[in-house]
Amino acid sequence: MATETAETGTESTTGLHAVLGHERQSALLGYALYGVAGLLLVFLWIPLLVMIFLSFAQNSSTLFPFRGFTLEHYVATLADAGLMGSLAYSVQIATISAVIATTLGVLASFALARYEFPYKELYRTFGILPMVIPGVVLGIALLIFFQTLLGLSTGFWTIVATHSVYGFPFVLLIVTARMYTFDTALEEAARDLGADPLTVFRDVTFPVLAPAIGAGFLFAWIRSFEDFIRAFFVSGIENPLTVSMFAMIKYGTAPKMNAISSLIVLVIAVVLAVAMNVGNVTQYVAGTEESADE
Amino acid sequence: MATEPKSTRQRLLRALSTDDRKLGVTLGPSTVWLAMLLLAPLTFMVTVSFLSVDESYNIVWEPTLSNYTSLFEGQGAFWQTSFFESLILSYQIAAVTTVLCLVLAFPLAYLLARRGGRTFKVVIFLVLLPFFTMYLVRAYSWLLMFGPSGVINDTLLTVGVIDQPLTLFNYGKLAIVVGLTHAYFPYMLLSLYASLDGIDFSLVEAARDLGASRTATLRDVILPLTLPGIISGSLFVFVPSLGAFITPRFLGQGKIQMIGQLIEKRINSLYAIDYGSAASMFIVISVVLAFALAFRYVSIEELGGV
Repeated sequence: MATETAETGTESTTGLHAVLGHERQSALLGYALYGVAGLLLVFLWIPLLVMIFLSFAQNSSTLFPFRGFTLEHYVATLADAGLMGSLAYSVQIATISAVIATTLGVLASFALARYEFPYKELYRTFGILPMVIPGVVLGIALLIFFQTLLGLSTGFWTIVATHSVYGFPFVLLIVTARMYTFDTALEEAARDLGADPLTVFRDVTFPVLAPAIGAGFLFAWIRSFEDFIRAFFVSGIENPLTVSMFAMIKYGTAPKMNAISSLIVLVIAVVLAVAMNVGNVTQYVAGTEESADE
Repeated sequence: MATEPKSTRQRLLRALSTDDRKLGVTLGPSTVWLAMLLLAPLTFMVTVSFLSVDESYNIVWEPTLSNYTSLFEGQGAFWQTSFFESLILSYQIAAVTTVLCLVLAFPLAYLLARRGGRTFKVVIFLVLLPFFTMYLVRAYSWLLMFGPSGVINDTLLTVGVIDQPLTLFNYGKLAIVVGLTHAYFPYMLLSLYASLDGIDFSLVEAARDLGASRTATLRDVILPLTLPGIISGSLFVFVPSLGAFITPRFLGQGKIQMIGQLIEKRINSLYAIDYGSAASMFIVISVVLAFALAFRYVSIEELGGV
């Protein structure tokens, strides 16, 4: 790996090194590091940018021959009642399941960070399992559980149940990370000054945890909204947005797919930018307490 | 909460008065939820994998190994069955994806850990945005790029670099690896970053001052300190890649069949839950093994990098 420590800061220039050669080497490594990082961003963005470009183009599946810009794909997308219905359906599911995941996740974070109990590590493993286990397996396991064992017909509530479990680990990880750095002396001080536990929670604990809880909620919401494979199995005859989109590609109506996908990228970009600036989500997502503005 | 009736408040306070009750209130709901919606379904799935289903999809409660044996039955030896081939192919694709993610994410994570401020925020935003964008949309965006008349081939043809579409950019293994790398790269990046960010970089300087070469510093100082991040990142990339469905479906276009697709097909077209459960066990066992392997090197707290 050629890209390693390039900025070792104030390096002592030992006489053995030809000073110029050494510095040039450092500089080259630095450029290489930036080069790799730049190429990666290109890699991450090129397909999305191509898709967004095509969503505005008359030619909707490939760049050439370019036949001019149009908004007709967007008009058609927004006029598609079925698709918009799916969107509303997915928003409802994401909201309810994220509320459940956040409530359970915050409560469980208290237990994990504050109390000792038997089988704690086992609990923690099960707590992050829904995030790691492949969607095909979780989806099928829940499908045969609901349908064959319990005899339920799959639909809205089975998707909500599935997504609430899927979103739980994201809340758990983000909120416990915050709780481990929480200074419990603040709570003790409040209690010493006569506050009861609920007041302490409302006025001391909650404000400190709020950004992490918000980030956890956002994560759980997006994971539910974007999930296809789990919803695919437990959705029954209903069509969440991802299932509708999947069906669209199967029958080859790409123009609307470009438009709806670009709209999703745009909306999520705005939400993420706001969350990063208001709630400083980055540090929770990146799992570090270092201030991003340092 | 302040406007709640006194009695509710008092009841809540009483509920939280002892340690046992605190534990019950905080841990109880999620334990019940996970037991109902994770443990029970997975246990049932294991059970079903040892049972069979009759024509009307009712379970026959008689233990049998027939689902497992039928996975490896077919023409020729067991390694020639479609299930075995899918399984091996899935492992290969997941392994290549994991290594690729690691090699690509390391330099960027290193840069992010060494540089703060404005650049950090912008770069993190640019990396996270595709991560937050629908998985389906990202797979679809690569569907546009690849293929005989996809954007890559079409652009190269138009520019005149090539005369015929390159088979390299057809749907297939390369497309799937690229799609999966694109999908799971941020997991690796965030895990590595969380690890690298905790490193005391004066150790790196010390090693360099004492005459260690850059390669030696990387090998003996940086990599060991980053090990938890490397392990957890690999886990978070390898496991979902192994069971991937959408990406191989879009970018394999029927030419490649990974294990996730094979299971999905049996369940959706035949509702063969016995066969599907048995096949799923191979993914479940892989997940358990991957975790067990990871726990030999890192503790579970360190895994929570994402």
